[in-house]
Amino acid sequence: MTTMRRRGTYLRHAALVGVSAIMLVPFYWVLKTAVTNENIYAYPPRLLPERPHLFNFVDVWYFIPFPRYLLNSVIVSAIVVACNIAFNAMAGYALTKNFPGKRAVLLLFLSCMLIPFQATIIPAYLITSKLGLLNSYVGLAFPLLSTIVCIFVFKAAFEAVPHSLVDAARIDGLSEWRIIVRVLMPLSKAAIATNVVLAFIWSWNAFLWPLIITREPTMQTLPLGLARFLSYLEDTTGALYAFAVMVLAPSIFVFLMAQREFIRGLTSGATKG
Amino acid sequence: MISRRTLLKSGTGAVVSVLAMPAIAQAPKKISFLTWNIIDQEPMIRGWIARFVKDRPGVEVEWLDKKGPEIPVFYQTQLAAGTPPDVINTQGALGLEYAAQGALLDLTPRLKADAAARDRFNADYLSNWAYEGNNYMLPFYITKTLLFYNKPLFQKAGLSAPPHSFDAILDAAQKMTTADASGFLTLNFDWLYWPLYAMNGIDLLSKDLAKPTFNTPKAIEVTDRLAKATEAGAINKISWTGRWVEPNGAFAAGNVGMLHAHSPAYFFVKGQGKWVTPETLGVAHAPGGFATPNSHGLGISKASNNPDLAWDFLKFVTNEGAQELGVNRKLVTGNIAVDNKNLADLEKTDPLVYSILKTQLEHTDKMVGNWRLGNDSKVKEAFWPELQNVLLGRKDAKTALADAERKVARELKRG
Amino acid sequence: MMPATGEAAGRQDGWWQRKRTRDLALIACFLLPSLTVFFLYRVLPLGWNVLLSVQYWSPLKPARWAGLDHYEEMLLYDDVFWQSLTNTLIFIGAAPFAIALALGIALLVNSDLKGAAVYRSILFLSYPLMTVAVGIIWRWMYDERGGIINFALRESGLITKPIPFLQSFDWALPSVIVAEVWQVLGFYMIIILTGLQSIPQHLYEAASIDGAPRRAQFWRITLPMLKPSLFLCAVVGILNSFTSFDLVYIMTNGGPGHATELLITYIYKSGFGQTKFDYAAALTVVQFILLLALTYLANRAAGGNAGSLEHR
Repeated sequence: MTTMRRRGTYLRHAALVGVSAIMLVPFYWVLKTAVTNENIYAYPPRLLPERPHLFNFVDVWYFIPFPRYLLNSVIVSAIVVACNIAFNAMAGYALTKNFPGKRAVLLLFLSCMLIPFQATIIPAYLITSKLGLLNSYVGLAFPLLSTIVCIFVFKAAFEAVPHSLVDAARIDGLSEWRIIVRVLMPLSKAAIATNVVLAFIWSWNAFLWPLIITREPTMQTLPLGLARFLSYLEDTTGALYAFAVMVLAPSIFVFLMAQREFIRGLTSGATKG
Repeated sequence: MISRRTLLKSGTGAVVSVLAMPAIAQAPKKISFLTWNIIDQEPMIRGWIARFVKDRPGVEVEWLDKKGPEIPVFYQTQLAAGTPPDVINTQGALGLEYAAQGALLDLTPRLKADAAARDRFNADYLSNWAYEGNNYMLPFYITKTLLFYNKPLFQKAGLSAPPHSFDAILDAAQKMTTADASGFLTLNFDWLYWPLYAMNGIDLLSKDLAKPTFNTPKAIEVTDRLAKATEAGAINKISWTGRWVEPNGAFAAGNVGMLHAHSPAYFFVKGQGKWVTPETLGVAHAPGGFATPNSHGLGISKASNNPDLAWDFLKFVTNEGAQELGVNRKLVTGNIAVDNKNLADLEKTDPLVYSILKTQLEHTDKMVGNWRLGNDSKVKEAFWPELQNVLLGRKDAKTALADAERKVARELKRG
Repeated sequence: MMPATGEAAGRQDGWWQRKRTRDLALIACFLLPSLTVFFLYRVLPLGWNVLLSVQYWSPLKPARWAGLDHYEEMLLYDDVFWQSLTNTLIFIGAAPFAIALALGIALLVNSDLKGAAVYRSILFLSYPLMTVAVGIIWRWMYDERGGIINFALRESGLITKPIPFLQSFDWALPSVIVAEVWQVLGFYMIIILTGLQSIPQHLYEAASIDGAPRRAQFWRITLPMLKPSLFLCAVVGILNSFTSFDLVYIMTNGGPGHATELLITYIYKSGFGQTKFDYAAALTVVQFILLLALTYLANRAAGGNAGSLEHR
């Protein structure tokens, strides 16, 4: 390696370390507070946790039916992720083709993105009620079964696949559905990974919708359950941060699992055509 | 091919079995009970429900608990869908707003018919939820503002007693102000700061709640002085920018002379402040005895399918349940007999808490900041930001109060 | 036996017709599930809002016709509306900088750099955190007393008195924006990385062989090929003006005064705080139109068709 390249690499590392540090400082603070019960508003702030303990994490299991909430969250997120991959891939593929009214459909999708959830609470509840899906897993998952951002991710990924491959498959007599599954999806691993990660995060962290739609405590999801837990303890102690960490952990886990797809994509260099 | 005889036999059998079924095979009577962030008392409430249904076969009570910010969203959605909880617990003026909205059952006829139930409660607090002359809620637990003060800081500044006038407050605050300490802090949500104006003879609205009456030279002067004191650091700025955690936390940190807050603040401050002991924490009324209440009430949704059962439950909770609530949560329930008994016990076991809770039952005729407005939050939204602008030095008092007057008048006209 | 030409032609026409409609039917089928979800949970609620915005209504009260009263109130008498509109635009205006930052980071990470995976994970860590949690953490970091930012600034001698970040009329909005960028950076990064994946390596190889310098390769190959990803990021940046609801709500609740009031917080407060659902509906409609206009502009900038690339 030449000196120039080595310096370039050092610079890159330096920049990345700097940015990473900025990202991590708040996390260190969260973790530090999650393992203590100190008054977080005291001055001066302490850099190291004093008398760390894991009680905050343990308390969660005692105060609320944690396994049940965890199960609910897992089921709902599983439904959401599975449907997202299926529906978004289908819609993304359809959008790569030209058809009359395509611009209208694109506009429709884009505008749907611009409608905030807070403005839809009451009608969404009434609609879900009419569908008879209140207090149910499907009801919890329904509004998130497809997301426009992820449709566009698939669309972009499919468009990047050379037409020659698709044409060849069509000549071979594959049906459209087969084309998606056999040809496009394997070449869009990164897009699938992104879909999985995002759909999981959005459904896992959802708070307002489950709050409205579940009345029975047994159907509540983890963020709701953990917010319940906070009512037992002060909002300013480490309990809050233990809460944040516990809700965060699965999402990070999913990301790390899906992350490998990015690496594979990198090393293969996306060699197509 | 079924013979006619078999048909007749089975038909008769069916009819007989139907007639033999228990005469009352109704679905269980169910009511739902929504509480405001009281889940730490889960065993107590479950106990109430168990005792309530024991004497009433076929009755079920569903209990829901939500945190404060979640309740409006939850309740309004349920209201729009036609399935609101039968018995609901609200804080502050929200009960009045729901009453004005038409969501709550008018309890006046029931209270008239059941004088014992009505007389159980402190009349001044009961009238907190009287909208247009009708009662819509019963007290669940009640609080109002008082003055906490840091005795060591008072002594250090050479002050011997808590202030007895508005001027004295500002004076004392100024004396206790140093580079690290401030003299006075108040909570600001739900009109909790209003006693500062009431003690200067300022009224927000006319008696008929139709016109704003706060744009007076006196009010301008008071606001100006508050703003100047804030700028000088005598009044801690968090008074006007914080909500619950910041102001109480600041007082708990031990470098604020006075805290003007309602009684639950004590428990937060005690939890966070290592300096708090009966010797170091002073308790007093605000000058003039003026206080803003911030109480929790229980009401019945008009859309309830079982209003009588809900009323039964309401009476049960505020009577049989009140005792336990008062003891567990160390608060005043508004139920006269229960409160007298609990306070008598507390005087021996925890004199400091006793002195705090005693203030909640004194000067109940001097409660201010609780106008019976059906559009309380709109009026608040029209008034408070303007006031905040002055107190934080962004606007002068004269312009801000004039602007606020205009906005409040608009809201009142809209009704 | 050869069919008569006329017959053959007719049959071919018929066959083509059927395939075309078959194609269209298939496309419709593929779009159906997503469209159903959006129809139920976006389009219908939007319609509800539009209808509500021209009425006087509250739950339990009968509706009355209002015409454009709410819009008039909003545009002529409501300075909070104009403040929240301005704040929303400022909020959105920060997006291009955040995206540019994310692009830089993505390029740094998308290489054969050792430990790239570790960096990627660290940088993405903030996004899966619940926005409520992000709000709480940053509110606390900005705190005058116990907050680490003030502490660090004071220790390093840059300031003598703590800065009341979230209580100051001038600092509040930038402070909230910093927290928002911190959270969403990982998201932009992941979208751009996905886009970088799909750029065929042979384009770079060909350019290198032709002697094109790295910078030219970036501007001529990378950036154009990233158009769909960047467009997506831009739209998400626009969306952040309301998906950051929890962040603003927790950190400042729109305060001090209305210095950090966004359209979305104002909508929520009008609806569930003040029970002015009809007014909130009108605000929603106005916000929707505003965002639609911005998205349209972003679409034009990306070359139309959601920035898609037509290449063979």
